[in-house]
Amino acid sequence: MKDQTRRIPASRQREKPGQKTKWIGTDMKRVEDPRLLTGQGRYADDVSVPGMLHAATLSSPHAHARIISIDVSKARALPGVVAVMTGEAVARLTGPLPCFSNPPVEQRCVAIDRVRHVGEPVAIIAAESRYIAEDAARLIEVEYEPLPAMNDPRKAMHAIGEGVLHPARGDTNVAMHRNFSFGDVAGDFARATRVVKRSLRWARSGAQPLETCGAVSEYDSATGKFTIHVNSSMYNYVGWLLAVTLGVPVHKLNIIPTIAGGSFGSKLFIHKVPVISAVLARETGRPVKYLEDRSDNILACDHHGSDRFYDCELALDHNDKMISMRCKVIDDYGAYFQFDIGHHGNALSQITGPYQIGSVEADITAVMTNKCQQGAYRGFGSEVSNYVMERMVDAACSEFGLDPVEFRRKNFIKPEQFPYFIPTGNLYDSGNYPAVLDKALQMLDYDGWRNKQKEARKEGRYIGIGLATCQERSVFSATEFWMLNHEAGFALTSSPEGVKVKIDPTGNAVITLQAPFWGNSPETMATMILAEHLTMDPANISVTYADTDSGIAGTGPGGSRFTVMVAGAIVSASQVIRKKLFLLAAHLLDADPSEMELFDGKVRVKGRQGAEKSIADLAMMAHFFRLSFPDTPEFDTGLDASCTYDHPLTTMPSEDRKDLGIFYPIMGHMCHMPVVEIDVETGKVKFLDYVAVHDCGTIVNPMTLAGHVRGGTAQGIGSAIYEEYKYADDGQLLNANFADYILPSVNEVPPNVRVGHVVTPSPFTEYGIKGGGEGGRMGAPPAIASAIEDALKPFGVKADFLPLTPAKLRGLIRQATANQ
Amino acid sequence: MKPWPFEYHRANSIEDAIATLGRHGEGARLLAGGQSLIPMMNLGLATPDLVVDVGNLSDLAYVLVEDGVLRIGALATHNTIMEADASASACPMLVVAYHSVAHHTIRNRGTLGGNICHADPASEMPLVLTLLDASMVIRGARGERVVAAGNFFIDAFETEVEPAEMLTEIRIPAQAAGEGYAFEEMSQRKGDFAIVSAGCRLSIRKGQMTNVRFGLTGAGAQTRRMSVVEAKLEGAGPDDRLLAEAAELAVVNSDPSDDIHADAAYRLDLVRTMSRRVLAAAVRMTAKQGAL
Amino acid sequence: MRTQKVELTINGTTYSGHVEPRMLLSDFIRQVARLTGTHVGCEHGVCGACTVQIDGKTARSCLTFAVQAEGHDIRTVEALGKQGALHPIQEAFWEKHGLQCGYCTPGMLMRAEEFLASNPTPSREDIIEAISGNLCRCTGYQTIVDAIEHAATLLKSQTAEA
Repeated sequence: MKDQTRRIPASRQREKPGQKTKWIGTDMKRVEDPRLLTGQGRYADDVSVPGMLHAATLSSPHAHARIISIDVSKARALPGVVAVMTGEAVARLTGPLPCFSNPPVEQRCVAIDRVRHVGEPVAIIAAESRYIAEDAARLIEVEYEPLPAMNDPRKAMHAIGEGVLHPARGDTNVAMHRNFSFGDVAGDFARATRVVKRSLRWARSGAQPLETCGAVSEYDSATGKFTIHVNSSMYNYVGWLLAVTLGVPVHKLNIIPTIAGGSFGSKLFIHKVPVISAVLARETGRPVKYLEDRSDNILACDHHGSDRFYDCELALDHNDKMISMRCKVIDDYGAYFQFDIGHHGNALSQITGPYQIGSVEADITAVMTNKCQQGAYRGFGSEVSNYVMERMVDAACSEFGLDPVEFRRKNFIKPEQFPYFIPTGNLYDSGNYPAVLDKALQMLDYDGWRNKQKEARKEGRYIGIGLATCQERSVFSATEFWMLNHEAGFALTSSPEGVKVKIDPTGNAVITLQAPFWGNSPETMATMILAEHLTMDPANISVTYADTDSGIAGTGPGGSRFTVMVAGAIVSASQVIRKKLFLLAAHLLDADPSEMELFDGKVRVKGRQGAEKSIADLAMMAHFFRLSFPDTPEFDTGLDASCTYDHPLTTMPSEDRKDLGIFYPIMGHMCHMPVVEIDVETGKVKFLDYVAVHDCGTIVNPMTLAGHVRGGTAQGIGSAIYEEYKYADDGQLLNANFADYILPSVNEVPPNVRVGHVVTPSPFTEYGIKGGGEGGRMGAPPAIASAIEDALKPFGVKADFLPLTPAKLRGLIRQATANQ
Repeated sequence: MKPWPFEYHRANSIEDAIATLGRHGEGARLLAGGQSLIPMMNLGLATPDLVVDVGNLSDLAYVLVEDGVLRIGALATHNTIMEADASASACPMLVVAYHSVAHHTIRNRGTLGGNICHADPASEMPLVLTLLDASMVIRGARGERVVAAGNFFIDAFETEVEPAEMLTEIRIPAQAAGEGYAFEEMSQRKGDFAIVSAGCRLSIRKGQMTNVRFGLTGAGAQTRRMSVVEAKLEGAGPDDRLLAEAAELAVVNSDPSDDIHADAAYRLDLVRTMSRRVLAAAVRMTAKQGAL
Repeated sequence: MRTQKVELTINGTTYSGHVEPRMLLSDFIRQVARLTGTHVGCEHGVCGACTVQIDGKTARSCLTFAVQAEGHDIRTVEALGKQGALHPIQEAFWEKHGLQCGYCTPGMLMRAEEFLASNPTPSREDIIEAISGNLCRCTGYQTIVDAIEHAATLLKSQTAEA
């Protein structure tokens, strides 16, 4: 970029890429699997405590209403009911739920005076069974005074008075409006020779993991301490905020994690569910389980995905180089605002895609409406930005008759330009975009498919070849949660990951992570990295998850960060352990620690035959034979390390936010190329082929990475073709069940998503690893839109909104045919 | 998402089931395979106060051919019917259509009897049975009556079966040799209820179509056999233009409404496409069978 | 709330509980028999996570009342292999990365077992049709199809050995 004076902090990479490795880079079978395959995974609903009650909520049937009165007497009288609490009763024992916006938008786990979306809890019940709790909910009599329901953010943003959701924040539903401009946008547009404009729409979908959110809480009145079992992540990062909500000192709350049956972001930080179960536990003096049912999860999980309207312009110069982009975006945030516009911070990390675009403007309006609030869903808002960028590229190509492959290639950031600052101030650490594109073209047999496409069209068949080349930012840092605010509020800058590694006296290792399995492979990954580093047998390593009492600093998965961050922490910890092993062995073998090396589970003296000690022997010595070693502190008993790894590369944003700093620099890349055939009479889209080439730097486990790519692609197919939370004008959610909210089944996905990799290691992370957990869903939607548009070129149909359901697609074709 | 409380009675005979229903009156529901009723109960959309479980009346799980009629006991599961040789030989259209019905696990427990008594307008089997000229045997306290499929389905979720009656058998006349038939549907996902489905049977004698049966789901509020379309085809030669006109006629006679999965315009498009496809497929099949 | 004694045979063991007739089989299996390998995903019969076998045939345990299952033989994932002695289908899912979060897995396994018993040499298309009623949100299904294909091979060689 122009400003070469911007400082790039020195790399803290210790383990260089390209080493000869024994475990890293192999398809090691997952260590998590045997217990999951035998039905012995311990998920939230598997937690059972003696005397445990079951909770249910009474959900609001209204999108927006005042609560006039609540009569719980009949519910309370029902045999088997132990407690019924209204919002007011709950508010006497709890404060607002944690919110990361500034000023915060007050959300309660149970609504007090006003309900703001269908499904919002109005009362909560603890009973001997979930059945009875639900019976009780139906016996609660609530009088509501309906208020105008805000369904469309474009209208809601102009509402005043009764239509305003949070009057305490002012007489408007605009939660935030900010204009961010980076570089000389006006100048670039003035010198542009061609400009393409599009209005684009990304509809609301959501993660919908097969397991919902759940918690089992206990309250010990003797110690005044809560214990909460919950399938949340990030509890060792921000879990302490739940103690604040529960009105107890932070050390009076212990959060015990359970593994999660899928999250995709939506269990990033569960707040409502644990607080509901905890407050009922306190009220009843008994353990209480609250597990969302599917309806609760769809209506009120606090984690719907992005819901945006874009107006975009892309400027090209006379050489067909993209020089600037500007977009106005209205984002429908729903009823609350827990993560502020962090989703747009996320998007700004890669808003210009893999291209050399010198300036960019984003005008962001976040609007509150009577829907479930947005949270996290695989991509966290940057998947939308990918869709928008690629749509604009395709729009330019189709409008100006440019070849989509060559146009992209021409505009790519070149391999030699890394590290590369984009206009927003974020840095792309490394990349090789032409290599990824070339590999995809070759794997797909692009020219072959173009020929088949021509032949098919002669037979009246409509085949389309899609192309999307987009970014896969990884390893989020903390600044994105506040840097877009007018005032920073809580301007945190840490997003660390900690691990504890303990070698037991027999030489086996236990790794303690700070966030649980949620469908990723943290145990396998941590095992592989530690085995690599200490030359251990993976069978001698086990992995566990810390509760908050024992946990150290750790953020958890999210923003495709966990592998990179855990690897960093394990490298630190195993360095400590290695140092101690060398020290012990050197003493026992009468050598200098600097002469030692690890080999095959043993420490040996370099070049001295037979002078070796196994890790097991050394561990026994370290634990039980203190007097065999000198009386200096470095020989003190034990063989363990707790280490925290901070984000490998972040800098502060500038005061004026003209430079957001380096906040999401570990930049992956992907090229997705689907081939679809469309039945133009029914609008049905069928996949004939699908190639996905990713560059996630050094790969720890190709098998599990491919699993993420394919799984993410399936979710991307959902967002592109099938999935949408459909809210009616009155704010009712019309498809709050799995029969009507259409998750792709095996029939809706390609039979073979062919995954390829290009490896461009990061210069900043251990071994050069980049994150890759979200990629599929960040690439599939624009690729599919592109394929559909390509297939329907004879009709001139534009894929400017998602999801392109068969009905919608057929509608576009019908319209186009009528116009022809 | 739990069912409301109810009393449970496991019937040990048809008579017991009917007597129990009669004693209880409104609010009692028969439970066969439960694949329609239980989801509705879990969602709170059905709240019977008495559930009479007829699922163990295994005497009613038969599928057999007798005197040119496929007789299906009301408690035969979809998979039993789908996999029975009797079905394949007597009513192959039934088997073909079954490939669009739900998924294996649902078909393991779901019964045809329960399915048609539920009478979901998006369900495939009410249409198929109507086109196959099926008749239903209904048993009540006063004895048995037989109702033709055309009269059996009164409206969406409403059939001829009275609250204290029980469907006991479905009778389908064997399809004629050389007959052409086809069933097609468009659904969100394979196995989901159809947005629009179309079915057709016909024979061709001396170059003319005869015994034409044609109908649709999703073309209006309920499953419909379209006699105007049948009349247009009956006695005519099966040329493509006529089939296209027949499909247009189906469109004109459809009156779908918007719902969350499809607007009316889309359904009309599907009516046209599905109609044309099943008509053409049925004609092709007769040709293949050499009946021309 | 009227309860009645319900006695069910699950994986060859008899479990009995005083439960309401409305108790779903899924809840009986998980709460009364304490066999938590069977998972509940949607409770309206769409996702297939709760799939078990009743008399050798798969069934949605959320679309069955416990009381209906009296006198029938119920099988859950716990009846397959154990750790260290996995069933070939479990082995194949492990080998082929046929699971990520593991939540749909028990239902998939029960369906796969039923399917392979009736079709020991399936094509990929057969497998796709067979699991179309079981949703998975993690894998994109491809490796599940791989796993079932692989399981067929493992089962065949096992039969050949026996």
